[in-house]
Amino acid sequence: MRSFYGALAGAGAMLLAGLSPARAATEIEFWHAMSGALGERVEELVKKFNDSQKEYVVKAIGKGTYDEVLNGTIAAYRAKRQPEIVQSNERSFLTMVNSGAIVPTSDLMAQEGHPIDASQFIAPVVSYYAIDGKLQAMPFNSSTPILFYNRDHFKAAGFDKPGATWQELEPQLDAIKAKGVSKCAMVLPGDYEWSFLENYSAVNDIPYATKRNGMDGLDTSYVFNKGKLVDQVERMKRLVSSGVMQLAGQGIIPIQLFTSGECSTIIASTASHAAVVAAAKFDWSAAELPYEQGVTPKNSVIGGAALWTLKGHSPEKYKAVAAFYDFLAKTDTQVWWHQATGYVPVTTAAYEAAKAQGYYQKNPTREIAVLQLMRGTPSDNSLGFRIGNSNQINVAIMEEVSAAFLGKKPVQQALDDAVARGNEALRRYEQLNAGKK
Amino acid sequence: MPARNSTAALPGTAGGGALRLRWPLRRLFLRSADDAQSESGLKRAHFREWRLPIWLLAPQLFILLLFFFIPSVRALIQAFQLTDPFGATTQWVGFENFERLFRSGVYWSSAQVTLIFTIAQNVLTLSIALLLAFASNHILRGRSAYRTVLLLPYAIAPAIAGIMLAFLFNPRVGPIAHTLQGLGLDWDPNRNSWHALALIVMAASWKHICYNYIFLVAALLSVPQSILESAYLDGAGPIQRFLRISLPMVTPTLFFLIVINFVYGLFETFAIVDATTRGGPAGATSILVYKVYLDGFVTLDLGSSAAQSVVLMVLALLLTIAQFRYVERRVNYSV
Repeated sequence: MRSFYGALAGAGAMLLAGLSPARAATEIEFWHAMSGALGERVEELVKKFNDSQKEYVVKAIGKGTYDEVLNGTIAAYRAKRQPEIVQSNERSFLTMVNSGAIVPTSDLMAQEGHPIDASQFIAPVVSYYAIDGKLQAMPFNSSTPILFYNRDHFKAAGFDKPGATWQELEPQLDAIKAKGVSKCAMVLPGDYEWSFLENYSAVNDIPYATKRNGMDGLDTSYVFNKGKLVDQVERMKRLVSSGVMQLAGQGIIPIQLFTSGECSTIIASTASHAAVVAAAKFDWSAAELPYEQGVTPKNSVIGGAALWTLKGHSPEKYKAVAAFYDFLAKTDTQVWWHQATGYVPVTTAAYEAAKAQGYYQKNPTREIAVLQLMRGTPSDNSLGFRIGNSNQINVAIMEEVSAAFLGKKPVQQALDDAVARGNEALRRYEQLNAGKK
Repeated sequence: MPARNSTAALPGTAGGGALRLRWPLRRLFLRSADDAQSESGLKRAHFREWRLPIWLLAPQLFILLLFFFIPSVRALIQAFQLTDPFGATTQWVGFENFERLFRSGVYWSSAQVTLIFTIAQNVLTLSIALLLAFASNHILRGRSAYRTVLLLPYAIAPAIAGIMLAFLFNPRVGPIAHTLQGLGLDWDPNRNSWHALALIVMAASWKHICYNYIFLVAALLSVPQSILESAYLDGAGPIQRFLRISLPMVTPTLFFLIVINFVYGLFETFAIVDATTRGGPAGATSILVYKVYLDGFVTLDLGSSAAQSVVLMVLALLLTIAQFRYVERRVNYSV
């Protein structure tokens, strides 16, 4: 059917070409990792762009998870069949920058006559995706973890709302379980390394890795095996072993246990708004990430992904890419994307516009992530993470940390092992990319 | 049998050639002096000239070239390199990838898990398949209906089977998990390594019982009726006849199935592990072939992943040679 319409469109285009001087539109491919509701939003976004002008057509192709998209891109690049645009998660930043396969976004936009000013983006996004003030990728879907909670459960347990610090929140979770309000006071998210460790260290201003978490060079080393981070993993272990925090396990997604009303809280990406709004049939709300008592909380760090432009295409294709990025950076587009998905607006102007609309008065939970990301002045520990081999190390860290909270290893030993495995991978990355940023 | 190794180099690719390659390979491995004189039974069958067999093998060899030999050579090369996933930088590092592998405690614990998994899977698959084959041979009414039902799981994709079992046994929402918990068992494969291991053994066996079953049914049917009848006249019951006559006479099939089950367990259970436990909890079900995938495709550590495939290839080769050399001698082939 599709090919039939394709042929029809092709024939139409040829007819038009014969009648008028208009050329056929330049088509570019955009590989993404958004599925379900978010995948539909991407389709809508691309359609908006395609309808807004006649010269360029962006074709959005869902290629599975972030890992699968990256793998597909690598295979395609090696076979010289790479798409023009690929969405890759924040963790892959250095892999992409040092791949030799990308065109930095700032260079592309300057060359195509749509100069892009990094300062129009919100600070935590710029500090992640820019090197020396030059954007390497186009910020796209940025998020940060927040605490979603079931207000009915909190009321039933006699609480108004979750406490701001872990010291206040923990007894509340215990009480929810003890009073029988819910068998599952909290569900462990699948990306807990991001929400419970990396963001925990940013918010509480604790070093996670040396050299400002890798911002100052590839010779960074992990240091999360001491101090409060050990206590945090001890806390996770206590919550898991007492049954207060449950594991979703295979076959179901953690957020489903929250939206089904089974678990009372989840610390999840603000992009989970899409799922919560669609499925939660109870009185829910959200709050900022809990922090340690006595600490002035710093900003949290972003997650999500950015769009990377791949090398090896013709100048017309890059014109199309630049036009698409230009469209993405527009305030209207950003406001729509932010409201339709739950991701944060990546430009300051879009945030101001959403605020001016009164959007946050009607939807207060949508502002939490933005406020949390912009909170205070970023310290060396909350600028973001620039870690090579980060996907690989992430798997090792999660394996060790889960061994700790499942009681297979003492917490300290698990974290020492995680640091050792992580540092080995960091040194290998340094060896391979000697002399690079 | 190395045909199945293709999965080591390229997870998810169907090897497929094991059964067809059985004869030539056996000849290759067993060309010993005593064989030539005492060839009997199945071993007597062979081609009289060389051209026809070559032509018959050609399509299979071509597929092997594409999906096994080329990837293996590339894996062999990559095993000695440190490389950027996009291929921008490549360094020769000698045996560093292997050293790193053998130094790593994680790798050894994965090897240990693999050993337990393949043996448990083999025992469970074979014993249940034998039981079913024995039972369905003694059913008079609706025998073919039973057989059809027993063969159905083979048609289910491993990923679907894995997801289904993961869901059924999920301690939060799974009905079977709830039943187990109702029986007083604190079932939780998300926390308990042994439960997770049991789950993948179950999933892998469930998928493979049917394969074993077809072969065993056929083998049991080929046991000469006359011998069974004379045993019957001597007063042997069905179980005695099965244990004393049928079972010894189907040992070649059993031997074949043991090899196939090991190969299956070692190389083809990737999808089941990925769908059922994702190697968790804390790496407790991360068997060797899953680690090849994890390190190659998730964490993009191509050098280590390639080194692991090479180790698996060598392992498979050794296993096959050892099994054919030492185990086969004790097997009665004169059926």
